[in-house]
Amino acid sequence: MHLLLKRLFKWIPLGLLLTIIFSTPAFAFDSEYRQVFGLDSRKVVWFLAQMHLYFGAFVLGVPLFAVIIEVIGWKGGDKRFDKLAYEFTSLLSVAYATTAAFGGLLAFALFTLYPTFMGYMAGIFKDVMFIYALLFFGETFCLYLYYYGWDWLQESYELRVTNYELKSKIGLSLKFIPKALGGLVLVTGILFFFGLIGPKMRGDTKVFMTVLYILPLAIGLFIIKDRKSFHIFIGILLNIFGTAIMQLANSWAGFMMSPQGVTEKGDLTGTTWQVFENTLATPLAMHRMLGNLAFGGLVAGAYAAVKFIGSKTEEERAHYDWMGYISNFVAIAGLIPIPFAGYYLGREVYSTSAVMGNNMMGGDFSWTFIIQAMLVGSLFLISNYYLWSGMTRIPGAERYYKYIKYMLVLIIVSFAIWLTPHNLPLTGQEVSGMGGSQYHPTLKFLGLMPAKNAVVNLIILSTFFSFLLYRRGNKGDTVPVTKQGKLPKIVIPIAGLISVLIVGQYAVYLLGLDPKVLDLPPDRAGYFKAVGILLTFECIAAVIAVVLALKDRGILAQWVYLGATAFNVVVFLGVYGFIVMEKASPFLRNIAVSQFLQLISCIILVSAIDVFLFRGAKVIGELKWGKMTVRSQYALLLLTIIITINMGLMGFIRSGLRSDWHIFGVMRDTSDWAYTPSNYTMTQMVGLCVFIFLIGVAFMFWLGGIAKGKEVKELESSGVKELKDNNS
Amino acid sequence: MGKVVGKVFTLLIVVLAVFLWVGSAITSLTGGEKKAGGAVDMSPEGGEAIFWGKGRCYTCHSIGDSGSAVRCPNLGVWGDKFPLPIGERAKERAKQREKDTGLPYTPADYLIESLANPSAYLVEGFKNEMAVVYAPPISLSLNEIKAAILYLLSQGGEVDVNAINNPTELSKKFYDRVIAGSQAGGGDPGHGEEVFMGAGCIDCHKLKGQGGDIGPDLTTIGTKGFKSISESILRPADTFTPGYETYTVIKKDGKEMFDASGKKVSGVKIKDSADSVDIAVSAGVIINVPKSEIKELQIDKNKSVMPDEIVEVITVKDYQDIVAFMLLQKGEKKK
Repeated sequence: MHLLLKRLFKWIPLGLLLTIIFSTPAFAFDSEYRQVFGLDSRKVVWFLAQMHLYFGAFVLGVPLFAVIIEVIGWKGGDKRFDKLAYEFTSLLSVAYATTAAFGGLLAFALFTLYPTFMGYMAGIFKDVMFIYALLFFGETFCLYLYYYGWDWLQESYELRVTNYELKSKIGLSLKFIPKALGGLVLVTGILFFFGLIGPKMRGDTKVFMTVLYILPLAIGLFIIKDRKSFHIFIGILLNIFGTAIMQLANSWAGFMMSPQGVTEKGDLTGTTWQVFENTLATPLAMHRMLGNLAFGGLVAGAYAAVKFIGSKTEEERAHYDWMGYISNFVAIAGLIPIPFAGYYLGREVYSTSAVMGNNMMGGDFSWTFIIQAMLVGSLFLISNYYLWSGMTRIPGAERYYKYIKYMLVLIIVSFAIWLTPHNLPLTGQEVSGMGGSQYHPTLKFLGLMPAKNAVVNLIILSTFFSFLLYRRGNKGDTVPVTKQGKLPKIVIPIAGLISVLIVGQYAVYLLGLDPKVLDLPPDRAGYFKAVGILLTFECIAAVIAVVLALKDRGILAQWVYLGATAFNVVVFLGVYGFIVMEKASPFLRNIAVSQFLQLISCIILVSAIDVFLFRGAKVIGELKWGKMTVRSQYALLLLTIIITINMGLMGFIRSGLRSDWHIFGVMRDTSDWAYTPSNYTMTQMVGLCVFIFLIGVAFMFWLGGIAKGKEVKELESSGVKELKDNNS
Repeated sequence: MGKVVGKVFTLLIVVLAVFLWVGSAITSLTGGEKKAGGAVDMSPEGGEAIFWGKGRCYTCHSIGDSGSAVRCPNLGVWGDKFPLPIGERAKERAKQREKDTGLPYTPADYLIESLANPSAYLVEGFKNEMAVVYAPPISLSLNEIKAAILYLLSQGGEVDVNAINNPTELSKKFYDRVIAGSQAGGGDPGHGEEVFMGAGCIDCHKLKGQGGDIGPDLTTIGTKGFKSISESILRPADTFTPGYETYTVIKKDGKEMFDASGKKVSGVKIKDSADSVDIAVSAGVIINVPKSEIKELQIDKNKSVMPDEIVEVITVKDYQDIVAFMLLQKGEKKK
């Protein structure tokens, strides 16, 4: 009965939302703004939207890594991963219902408090809203099947009976069908990617849809061979539905900032696709996707941390230590590319409206961005601290302790530079004291974009380096690649090729870039060429690294490529950025892209080499799961609180950029609340949302714990047993 | 477990308290909450509300010690670079501007020009980063701009409401620019001109003696008003300017004529001689059809040579900017 009620509860808000949407013709309201209980309508919507987003991010983020972990367990035959994935998924059930409840409440609030605006949005997005609602059926079905069918779809026997019958009748194996479908999807995806089929669309949308919908679907179909792989396929479908729901909802938020397909009076002149694929929709979706992954990981990590701190037995501690480690690992994987996705989103905001862009980085939100820099810097610093703490549970990791102090200094200095504002409010006297300049003679340079880009990349490289040290903590000597068969000889060159392609294509682009494209005079082409040549050197370094790795000089190969990347990205481009800023300012954005591409290629190639360097290496000592300081668990908790705050803060900036427009340039906000709230108001609202969300999450975990108490205990003990088995 | 929950709860409260403190400190440092202003009078006080509120001038400009922005010139007395407040400084700048252009500039003219066409005369050491204040998201009305000018003049200069309401010939031009921008929903005529030239409109339309012949001459299009211009861009086939109708060539056998690439010969008749007609099907593509092959030239009322997909390739902002630019085209045709 309880379960039935819970399920019904999930559908009520969606049903009501649909009823409201489709019974509401556009512009059918008398008043534009309303209030309930005398409350500030904007704050009501702000609160509900933020809560919906928090729970939604968790519900979308957790299945992402649950499936990844399940696949690792399935391919490696390690049952503990499967159990961990199940434990994460069990956290989803209640969160899903809460997300839907907040979604329904948000829809009610929007339609009742902002009727004209929502009437217009429902009119413009009616097709998209219909698809949005229908996708929930898919997601709900997949979520239930994925969670409740876990045990049922656990057995790994092939579909023999049916398979046999079918084969005898038509001469085909049943396994052939999903593979054929997978092939079909893949071919369709290739045609779609190269623009041979499908509607005309932006390149980023095409990449987003190919990578997150078509490719996973094809892979999911390809791998189906037994019940377990079918279960994984359901998990992949669950993620596809979740991502699609997020993308559709993002198109509304994007449209409000960068409307397309409508006139300044709001008349629809374009197609639904144009409206849907507005300038900011895809950059927003990309940023949110990575954010969700990091957020989901860290909320699950917080769960593990609380459980670890409250553990009474060593078994419990070992299990939750391991769970926290995996969660943090997934979160860092999402966290590393986020600054780049953010940079891309910011660039698109500037291209939508320079006023909006200036307001973001140098106007109403400049101080908010300083708070954001503090939060993101803290995320990286604490993540590193957690990794370093984790080395204490690894026998043999003492060898690498000496590096920690240097990395700590690097990260703190980088963090300080990142935080340095270009200018600060000064009195006239202070300005005269600085020789009439409004900028500090030295610090002004640290406040500029080239310096900030350089140190952000350095922080990411340092975090990656920490991770490398962590990985090799208990490993003995490296294993010669030449003695590992064909696999490294295939994988390392492929990783090298990918790196060369990523960097090389941009080098070619820059070498042929016409200054006119960036509104620059022809003599500025030299600045592009310098960076193009630098990228060519990066490609050569990648080739050298691959050759060295294949000749059993893997460590040297890693140093060569890491060193080349660090020099290019941090030292050379960091300094060169200032010259470019002075002489060819619009090119600065291309420098940031080149820094990002080199960093990504470095992470790919160095990781690939690292995998084979220590593949099957002698283990110095057994990993002591659970031998972790309590402080490190508080670090995990702190990470969760900070990322939650940061999400709320970034939401404030994104939404606030529209200033006093509901839909930028199309529908003005004429309410009493049409002004940008102060940072104090922001901290109050975000603080309230964070507090209620985290308390709500804790309550849900507690509820889940009551229901699954016995099951979890069994899981912990069996998991620990397997941990021990595996380690020994 | 209770103790653990207590500790975690305390951690949460401490972090949130620090977060609130940071927000509070920054807000008091930057001058507190700035609420939305209502309608403003055309007075220095109204202008002050615009400067520190809706106009967002404070995003880039400070006035003396007030505000913290440094991107654009400080408009008060500030260090050695700005020894005079803007009201007084405007007199000096107007004199210099007059010297440079030979036109009679008043301080108000200088300030109005700075708002309507900021790139015309930049302060040394600063780039043109001025927002188009009559375009979204700021979208100031002409009266609000006038109020802001009065506020700036009140900073050490002479406040003359009459002079603002009865502008000089010079200021009238700038006012026209603002009015055109506002009528177009907040368009920027300067950018509109760039789009007009860059997006290929000039290839078909003539403007002040320059451009193509396929479409109507737009030199005086501004006199037709916003509605007509807007409809001509969004729905070009709804109304045709006489002489620019779309003709489809019907061959002797009664069928439509197609060119070598398989496209229907349909466009504007730009030349009609005794032996042949020239049909412009698109910019730069003119097909000469011998009259001996033509049964008739049929007017296609549902099709314009103006590209249908224009609303798909330009953004809302580009459209508004082009309309604003078109609204300014009220000049005489050059012969």
